[in-house]
Amino acid sequence: MTARKVILAILAGLFFTGPLAAQFQTGSITGRVVDGMTSEVIAGAVVTLEGTRRGTTTGPDGTFTLTDVPAGPQFVTARLIGYGPQTQEVTVTAGISTTVEFALPRQAVVMDELVVTGYGAQRRAAIAGSIGTVNADEANVGVTTNANDLIQGRIAGVQITQNHGEPGAGQQIRIRGGTSISASNDPLYVIDGIPVPNVATESSAFNAFGDPGLSRSPLNTLNPGDIESITVLKDAAAAAIYGTQGANGVILIETKQGQAGSTTFEYDGYVSVSQPSRKLDLLTGDEYRQYVQEQVTAGNLLPASLAALGTANTDWEGEITRSAITHNHNVAFSGGTASTQYRASLNYMSQEGVALSSGLERFQGRLNATHFAWDDRLQLRLNMSASHVDNDYLPFEDTGGFDGGLFQNMVQFNPTQPVMVTDPTTSVVSFYELGGGALAVRNPVAMAEQIADVSGTTRVLGNVRAQVDIVPNVLSGQLIVGVDRSESTRREYYPANSPVGAEWNGLARQVSRELTTTTLQGLITYSERFGDEHEFSAVGGYEFADFNEDSFGAETRDFLTDAFSFDNLSAGAAAQVPFSNVVDSRLIGFFSRVSYGYRDRYFINAVVRRDGSSKFGADNKWSTFPAVAVSWRMSEENFMIDGPFSELKLRAGWGKQGNEAVPAYASLLLLAPGGDNYPFGDTKTVGVAPTRASNPALKWEETTQWNVGIDYGLSDNRISGSFDYYIKNTTDLLLSVAVPQPAVQAERLENIGKVRNKGLEATLDALVANRANMTWRAGIVFAAEKNEVVDLGGRTFITSGFVSGQGQSGQTSQRILPGFALGTFYGLEYVGISSSGQQEFNDYDVDGNLVGTTTSPGADDFVVIGDANPDFTLGFRSQMTWGSFDASFIARWEQGRDVFNNTALVHASKSNVKQGKNILRSGLDETDESIDEPAIYSSRWIEDGSFLRLQNITIGYTFELPGLLTGGRNNTARVYAAADNLLMLTGYTGYDPEAHSDAGLGSRGIDYLSYPRARSFTAGLRLSF
Amino acid sequence: MRARLSWAHAGPNGEESKCEPCNGRENMKRSRIQYSVRGRRLTRLLLAPALAVVVLLQGCTDLEESPTSVITPENFFRTEQEVLGSLASVYGRLRETQWGYYNLSSITADEQIVPTRGSDWFDNGRWLEIHRQTWTPTSTSALDDMNGTWNVLFEGIARANVLLAALEDLTVPDQATIVAELRTLRAFYYFMLMDLFGGVPIVDNTELIARPKNTRAEVFQFIDTELNAARADLPASWPADQNGRMTQGAADVILADMYLNAAVFQTDAPSATSYNSCTTVQIGTQTACEAAIAVADRVLNSGQYSLASEGNWRSNFEADNSSSLENILVVKNTNEAGANLGLNLVMRVLHYEQFNPTPWNGFAALAETYNAFDADDERREIFLQGPQTNFDTGDPVCERPGCAQGGTPLSFTVDIIDETQAGEAEGTRIVKFSPDPNHTAEHNGNDFVYFRLADIWMIKAEAELEQGVGDPLGILNTLRARVFEPDEPLTSVDRDVILQERLFEFTGEAKRRRDLIRHGKFTDPWSFKPQTEAFRVLMPIPQPQLDANPELTQNPGY
Repeated sequence: MTARKVILAILAGLFFTGPLAAQFQTGSITGRVVDGMTSEVIAGAVVTLEGTRRGTTTGPDGTFTLTDVPAGPQFVTARLIGYGPQTQEVTVTAGISTTVEFALPRQAVVMDELVVTGYGAQRRAAIAGSIGTVNADEANVGVTTNANDLIQGRIAGVQITQNHGEPGAGQQIRIRGGTSISASNDPLYVIDGIPVPNVATESSAFNAFGDPGLSRSPLNTLNPGDIESITVLKDAAAAAIYGTQGANGVILIETKQGQAGSTTFEYDGYVSVSQPSRKLDLLTGDEYRQYVQEQVTAGNLLPASLAALGTANTDWEGEITRSAITHNHNVAFSGGTASTQYRASLNYMSQEGVALSSGLERFQGRLNATHFAWDDRLQLRLNMSASHVDNDYLPFEDTGGFDGGLFQNMVQFNPTQPVMVTDPTTSVVSFYELGGGALAVRNPVAMAEQIADVSGTTRVLGNVRAQVDIVPNVLSGQLIVGVDRSESTRREYYPANSPVGAEWNGLARQVSRELTTTTLQGLITYSERFGDEHEFSAVGGYEFADFNEDSFGAETRDFLTDAFSFDNLSAGAAAQVPFSNVVDSRLIGFFSRVSYGYRDRYFINAVVRRDGSSKFGADNKWSTFPAVAVSWRMSEENFMIDGPFSELKLRAGWGKQGNEAVPAYASLLLLAPGGDNYPFGDTKTVGVAPTRASNPALKWEETTQWNVGIDYGLSDNRISGSFDYYIKNTTDLLLSVAVPQPAVQAERLENIGKVRNKGLEATLDALVANRANMTWRAGIVFAAEKNEVVDLGGRTFITSGFVSGQGQSGQTSQRILPGFALGTFYGLEYVGISSSGQQEFNDYDVDGNLVGTTTSPGADDFVVIGDANPDFTLGFRSQMTWGSFDASFIARWEQGRDVFNNTALVHASKSNVKQGKNILRSGLDETDESIDEPAIYSSRWIEDGSFLRLQNITIGYTFELPGLLTGGRNNTARVYAAADNLLMLTGYTGYDPEAHSDAGLGSRGIDYLSYPRARSFTAGLRLSF
Repeated sequence: MRARLSWAHAGPNGEESKCEPCNGRENMKRSRIQYSVRGRRLTRLLLAPALAVVVLLQGCTDLEESPTSVITPENFFRTEQEVLGSLASVYGRLRETQWGYYNLSSITADEQIVPTRGSDWFDNGRWLEIHRQTWTPTSTSALDDMNGTWNVLFEGIARANVLLAALEDLTVPDQATIVAELRTLRAFYYFMLMDLFGGVPIVDNTELIARPKNTRAEVFQFIDTELNAARADLPASWPADQNGRMTQGAADVILADMYLNAAVFQTDAPSATSYNSCTTVQIGTQTACEAAIAVADRVLNSGQYSLASEGNWRSNFEADNSSSLENILVVKNTNEAGANLGLNLVMRVLHYEQFNPTPWNGFAALAETYNAFDADDERREIFLQGPQTNFDTGDPVCERPGCAQGGTPLSFTVDIIDETQAGEAEGTRIVKFSPDPNHTAEHNGNDFVYFRLADIWMIKAEAELEQGVGDPLGILNTLRARVFEPDEPLTSVDRDVILQERLFEFTGEAKRRRDLIRHGKFTDPWSFKPQTEAFRVLMPIPQPQLDANPELTQNPGY
């Protein structure tokens, strides 16, 4: 049959299938699903009619009914997470109800389940690449704000570090370590088949306190309660089908779909209370007074310092933080008929931050619907979600300037002064302030209360797909159109009557940002079995995506009154020049995956993708990404049948992936007005300066990855898991490097250098106990990774990771050095305090020989002093069900990682007291240090950040809803209590070793006045009927 | 059919229209034609897929980037305004030299120091390293200050080259003048590079490639040729609303200064310990001294400039110094609101309480520099010493935490006891460019003066002394007469007297390093700095530049 005829046939089918359906004779199938171990009925199992999209779920009594089943032999499958699926052949007779019973075996990992693998799904047994999966319902415990929270600690080789403890804070996500120095290291997110850009949906804050804080996670707009499953594609064999976007791994998120059958209704809600999990150890008012007294007595401070002391004892940390309430409510109903299924959900979440005046509120609605037509040969699906997120930001910073944000002032504000004062004459109560001026320390409570910084983001994410079975079960075509649109406005007001806003006599600002991504995907999927031995499938497709970013902002200053806040910009007398920006980029890909399996033992999987991106140089817009993987299920061989393994699969794969995550227009020479103005006469002439040097050869980073792995299963897969070893070589790094001068800009993006990641991953899933009234599942994920910068294209090093704090201008804490990992701390080796009260360091000569110690170090004395990367990470999880009770926990351990405690460097220095600033108690521990000694970046501030964190522990009780609603419905309720971040064992002295406060090149492990992380206690209820 | 399952997608007629390589425009045309000749019967059926394919092809054709909120050279350089905007950005790099070049010319010398004050101004030892001359190619000051200055100066050169290239295909009014201004600016950027780093690559095109260094003598020759060629097309002066643009006088002062320093600029290793005389270098048929005198006379005879009158010496440095008749080559600054184009030197020196916005309380003069000035010399008024007030309010100010909190009244001391642990009030402060009463935020309207007529006189005096001609003593006394009341004329002149007089006249004008090098005194010990090695007269080439351009070679000694 020629292609043309096929298409004509399809099109003909489109118009003539409706009446055909009625011509078939139909019967029905009823049955029951029970636990193979206990024979107890299983509710909620999914029963599907093979070869169709039809299915239903079992009720509380374990029964199901499928009606309108065509007469003749049919295959019916029952499946449920945690059980092996079972397929039975049923011969349906017209007008008769046929009965069937399934007894499902319990398993830790089910080899026959379908796993979403990108542009399709594959049986787990047939997968040759390295992937990890998360069952979202199992992972959705405690306070989860976004999808990444579900992954943390559950998949080997995926390291997620939340920037800090702010609700909805951004995260650093590294799949198999970062491979890129200057381009993004974030994975690609694919939601319901559509790649979704992971860029900040809100504009950054006004630059009032040094650099604006890192942005919040764009995934906050997705309700974790709607997520069905998450698959992480780790190696090239799995991710190469995403071509230029695949180098950092791919996270595939599928949302829940409705099932045919009676309508189910679910409510899931919780309330939780959060508090900061740790405190910084600051001097109290009394201790501060005492220290000042001592220093005045010793002659190190002027007597005037005494006059500056107050009588209060203010715990500024306590004043800034609070017990915060989070509540979350999900309502979902789903159901449908054989031809139409739907699931609709609503979510409301309100999360208060543990610091004053910060939080996140989310409203979200989702509708997923599927409709089958034309004798089930056409499937139409809609996945649509709309969400609105309100962010309340704190005026705080991650990287410092002189002036300081909220947490900096919290640390340094004089603890002998009160929060509020009453004017003795007017009896007006106001915030106590030390004085104006840019360098003054400010009342942090006042900052939190007075400065308004909010944003509202509306994001609509929708896709519509039409799938046509051209040849049922063999050939299908699919067209998907997706739109992702977010609109946000960030609004800020710095009141004139606050010390911060006084500098401008009030400052109001609004910046809106609109992101639009449109995606078009065409897929043709072919799969067929030839006899019992050959299994063949192929996917071919095309994808087009357009990314558009549009922003506009305006700002005015000098307000007569603070009454308008940010709502009336025209009330400001001094208007600033408004600004706007448009960025557009496009990505086009052609891809294909071919899989062949022989006798269910030997599998080969080949992928090729040809991608074009507008972001690259004129000479390098297109490139090809191939991958191939083979696997051998040894356990299916005759010689293994009697062995201990129920599953043993060897895998090997190789492939190329790309990273195109650079700004648009990066290859062009751009000119921008206002880049460098100059006054001719005394009047400004707008200068038009080149902002970027051209690089027509610019192309993507290319990662070549080798992966070998073993999947194993023992005792009928009650114990299962995998080992993986990989080598990832990333070349042609997109690196902003210094160019030979003269050049219009000192740096430009070039493709130079090489980074290598090697790693070992292991997972173990076990059904430890499997008794009639008790099951216990446990899992371990382990990863050890070694990252090495192999080459920087001749550059000796690149500095990174700016040190924050007064007297630290231009100082960097890290260097990107060939032979070392990204995140290598580079500085002086601290020895101790000299007899004169100065910090002493190891002194090296020009040849690198240790020649003694010095208090005035030079360039030769700088050496490698730490590595922010862990030696290994380990995640444990356990889930136990005992009768109606269930209990689970998940813990994470990261060993051998260093953290630069920038907070201590700045705020443990006694010299702060000279400026009337409070210090950390650890500053007094160095009893011999002079009060005049500046803080010098050295190994003294590099701490071991290894930790063991009990991430979540949950206890639940499930019961039947007594007689509330009857009529064969599945009325169950579960109440649970959970604790997040209950316990952490670490030697780190700052707030939290998991912090990320610098957006610099490849920097990691820098903690500077991060928002404190919460410990939360949650009580929740889940109802379904 | 099965065999065709590839990444090609089916066209409207089932034909494969491969979108790869992306020649989609042609494909699209072809599909349309075929679509129209097919029977109408298919029209409705194929409409949706055909539309889809058109969309696909449309996407396919279009990977070109056409940014709309920024501009590329292709859609620029069409009007005079656009050329002037581009010219402004070449001038714009001059403003950046008020930071890096100024700091490196002053703190390296015996003029200023940035002591560490508590934890403030430590900045990983960068400032003390500059003062102690202990920098290396990878040290903090090399990675920051020197690297930054290298980039700023070369960016100015690159921008000039971009505009010069564009002007080759353009016709705009005053084209010859603009070209001459660009060549003069480029020569001045090269002058500063040659002064700090010695030999650097000479580039007059826009190609971005690694290039070896030219020798310092070649850079000298290039600047000489360029300035002499450009000056013919430069105006003698500009109307007030264009004040600050390059003039014939500006080209001449650069030449005069360069000739005076010719013995230094001819080699990467000038004498670090003895005077480098311009008599040892030939410029054409003249000695460099004779050439300097000739150029100086050309300026003096141009009729464009005159010395500020007695008692008005400081007017050359005040906020309204645009009208100074003495200043020849300046960096323009303005206090225009919202322009952010002002001078911020006062921020570096004033105490936190003395100005709004809060200054940084950093740079201080060395005691020996302050003490060298005669108490009767008007020029000593550039220092702040003793009890201090706020420049905006006139109120007395105190050290932190401020007068209201019982702080000590602020009084700047002459001496700095320990440069690593200095107090807030230690060290006098140079405010030659005094705070602008009408400043907007930190932006003061004072133009920063690189060269003024006093320079020309002093260059002439020094060259005459070397050459043994003229009346150098008379020149010095003329300059002194306007700042002393009553007069304190000198009775004799030698090299040391000249150097000392230059200190009084030019402190705070980014000349001290160059003067000390010429006089063979740059490596001498002074406060908080021991005797240093001879090679310190040149800055190291910062390591990032060597990395970026493997053709460069490091300066001797580093």
